[in-house]
Amino acid sequence: MEYGYYPGCSLTGSAHKLDVTLKKVFKKLGHTLKEIPDWNCCGAFEYGNRNELVGFSKSNLKKAEGFCNEIVAPCPACYKNLKEASKEEGKPVSILHPLDMFEYSDISSIQAKRDLKGRLFTPYYGCVLLRPEETAIKNKDIMEKVITLFGGEVDGEKVKDRCCGGNQFFINKWATERLSTLILDKTRGDLLVFCPLCHMALKTFSKNRKILYFTDMLLYLMGETNTL
Amino acid sequence: MQKIEKNCALQNEKIIELAGYKKEDFSVCLGCKICASVCTVNDLSINTNPQELLSSLFLGNTIEKDNPLVRYCTNCYRCTSACPWKIRIPEVVRALREDLGIESQFEKAFKGAISIWGRVYEPYVFLMSATFMLKEGYMQYMPKWLEYISFHLPHKTKRR
Ligand code: SF4
Ligand code: SF4
Repeated sequence: MEYGYYPGCSLTGSAHKLDVTLKKVFKKLGHTLKEIPDWNCCGAFEYGNRNELVGFSKSNLKKAEGFCNEIVAPCPACYKNLKEASKEEGKPVSILHPLDMFEYSDISSIQAKRDLKGRLFTPYYGCVLLRPEETAIKNKDIMEKVITLFGGEVDGEKVKDRCCGGNQFFINKWATERLSTLILDKTRGDLLVFCPLCHMALKTFSKNRKILYFTDMLLYLMGETNTL
Repeated sequence: MQKIEKNCALQNEKIIELAGYKKEDFSVCLGCKICASVCTVNDLSINTNPQELLSSLFLGNTIEKDNPLVRYCTNCYRCTSACPWKIRIPEVVRALREDLGIESQFEKAFKGAISIWGRVYEPYVFLMSATFMLKEGYMQYMPKWLEYISFHLPHKTKRR
């Protein structure tokens, strides 16, 4: 399948690793991502004026018109903003999050080259992928399922939807440090995330834990990378 | 005195509208304070009460810049998700912050990049908030941030 792609600012910058690994995973699963021409920033959570904020994503929907009917938006903030705009506009275009596209059947049919035996992971979803309900993803435990399917052990169920404080990172970093540390302290193993901001917050405040994107794990299982 | 109160009520209505709500929308709040019990700001050992913030707005009372939610709300939507009416409190807080003109240097730079290029251009954001980052001790994290650094030229697009 061919999908429209909205990488958003972070995947073209600091989260370039997520962009690269995600594209590889999609290619392996037989999907093509076509970047929406001339997309603009979604505004993240930086605007107090709701109309102004939704306006950014409405503009992106316009740019995608006639280009694609489905938009893949990996960054949780972009995903939420686009989804809200498309609901408000009543547009037929669907906004998809990669986690909702990785169906269990697809994943279990991966010609796995490796397994996760003897490894321990905390799948961490954070806030925006799971809340509010109207824009939340459907596959709320896909990361757990994949870990167990390939023989790994899961931890951190209780904190998987707690807040890492990423949003306060460049305002009051002590708050982010406190919240991320709570998550790190209450979990064991390597942390598996999808949100670029969670990745940065947890990585910054972890002493020696590995913070991995879920896509890193998929590529490892597919035999595309040698270490995880 | 009465005049000041009236002004404040009007101002509050403006804030409520900025967040995409109408004043009446808050009249459904049950005062159950579930929002307060789940609020992430509690984890910072700071007492907060989103319900009180809503009722202050509703009643036309002033909300100060140092209100803990105005300062520390993380946009986690735990309150919204637990609220029987699904009130989007973080969006109300954002509208309040905008109205009060609260912005860290980083946030200003972030929005600045968007108004120039239509996208966030991280090298610009870091440059424009360098004094804030230096003063606040962000530089110590640089070794951990190496994997986030990428080089590309800014792409100019229409903001909307
Ligand atoms: S979104 Fe803000 S007010 Fe609501 S629970 Fe999170 S920190 Fe508290
Ligand atoms: S949870 Fe909702 S209804 Fe209950 S006090 Fe908070 S805002 Fe009001």
